[in-house]
Amino acid sequence: MTTTQPVTATAKEPRRVPGQPDMWVFVLFESLVFTSYFGVYLYYRAQREEAFLQAQSHLDLWLGVLGTIVLLTSSWSVARCVQTARAGQYRAATRDAFLTAGFGVAFLALKIVEWTGHVQAGHTFTSDDFFQHYFFLTAIHCVHLLIGFVVLGVLVHQLASPDRRSQETVETCATYWHTVDFFWVLIFALLYVVR
Amino acid sequence: MKTALNKKTAIDKRLLAVWAVLSAITLIYLWIDRSADDGGAPTASTAVTVSAIILALVKVRIIMREFMEVRHAPALLRRLTDLWVVLMAASLLGMYFVGKAVA
Amino acid sequence: MKRPAGRDDPKRELWLAWYAILVFYNLYTVVFFILTRTQPPGKPWYGAGDASGWFAHHHDGLLVGFALIFVLGGLSATSIALITYSIRRMSVSRAFAYSYLILYSVSAVPGFLFICVAMTAGAMRPDRDPALQQWLYDLGFLSFSGTMGVFLVGSLIWMAAILLDKNRVFPKWFGYLNLCNALTEVVVAPSWMFDRGVFAWNGLIAWWINVVVFGLYTGVFINLLRNVIIREDFGTGPLPGLPKRARGHAPAEVVS
Repeated sequence: MTTTQPVTATAKEPRRVPGQPDMWVFVLFESLVFTSYFGVYLYYRAQREEAFLQAQSHLDLWLGVLGTIVLLTSSWSVARCVQTARAGQYRAATRDAFLTAGFGVAFLALKIVEWTGHVQAGHTFTSDDFFQHYFFLTAIHCVHLLIGFVVLGVLVHQLASPDRRSQETVETCATYWHTVDFFWVLIFALLYVVR
Repeated sequence: MKTALNKKTAIDKRLLAVWAVLSAITLIYLWIDRSADDGGAPTASTAVTVSAIILALVKVRIIMREFMEVRHAPALLRRLTDLWVVLMAASLLGMYFVGKAVA
Repeated sequence: MKRPAGRDDPKRELWLAWYAILVFYNLYTVVFFILTRTQPPGKPWYGAGDASGWFAHHHDGLLVGFALIFVLGGLSATSIALITYSIRRMSVSRAFAYSYLILYSVSAVPGFLFICVAMTAGAMRPDRDPALQQWLYDLGFLSFSGTMGVFLVGSLIWMAAILLDKNRVFPKWFGYLNLCNALTEVVVAPSWMFDRGVFAWNGLIAWWINVVVFGLYTGVFINLLRNVIIREDFGTGPLPGLPKRARGHAPAEVVS
């Protein structure tokens, strides 16, 4: 009854793409764009490892880990939102969507605290090669996150009225949010851990 | 009503497990970072770089399979997402090693 | 198919606009990449002497290339017009079409014509102070690369229209591709701050990755506009799908 439930459910239903298949074009295309940004960073980093390491030592790994776990938790909430919406529990789904946004805001707050700290310590976008990439990658990710709040707004708006509810839209929005999450998982590893 | 509740707890358990695994992998980074330090200034390490990238891509694949529900998707999407994970691994490690070779 | 009376083929006019787009983008590529060598852009770190040397070296190409743009650059209007037409064909408010039209008309000035004016001035006045020439050089490339905000919002308006549209004028995935394009427009902003490295106006991230994304995006939308013309029924409801035999054929065969 418990763990086998999702499997039996899909055994009956035909396999299907979560959300609009169109959103997956975005996921795959944007992944390639990000991969190219990461590739450029690693290429230059590998050539000047000492300078990058020296600048990187100013990052706080614990803050990075905390941020990652907060964003993973937001992803978990939106995954729950998809499943509760599918089960027809729209109040719970709305609550999960708000939880997702809440964790998103917490992540954003952490980022702002981190950025402020670096700028006050004299590490800015123009100060050295590492911080150029650091501010670029965290900022472009942040833009994706801000768009994510709009997407969550669409999700909540959908859930609010029985006339508008569409499981496909809920899944499409969730797919976007998870994409923002896994981009951060990569950015975190590349900026904070790689050495 | 009761079945709906049971269904919900089943849903929660699997997602909870996925979240726990993802968070645990994130915590491994702390251990990697600490074990790579030998007291002094941080030093470059190919082992740390490669394992950080691989671990991140493992997490990406788990997020896609579980959170994004790709495991219930048609074969095309499952293969495409797997191909993408491999592609990202190849590009990232490739650019890193090319950079090292150039330097 | 409903056709207004007294006309042979109302699509002929749309095809005229579409072929004008092809002519424009080919002209654009030839002028910027081959004749004037302003793409890929010149070195952002050039001092006064280097800049006037650059103008001297590129003198003929700059004059011929940008003369072509001054004569034919207005063809860029056809692409904006056809996209506006496609938004008007959607089920969404006309405000989307008007905003798109105005934004892209405005964006042509800083994002496209400014570089032509600045570079032509530099090439035509070789006797001017090298410092002034360097200023024209910077102005040309910065206006071209650094003013993407209008394109960004324009892309987002087109995206919103496509995602809200119920007439299936464009596939939804193209709506999301607009978002990808809009996000790369953010990435060029650092070119104002750097004169070397990956974020400078000729940098790997600020230029090369962007130009690949923009090239793909442009190729895709020109193709999709072609499909819209093939599918156009001059009605107001959802656009019909592509006719079976039209798939993979050249548009000329479809018209005839």
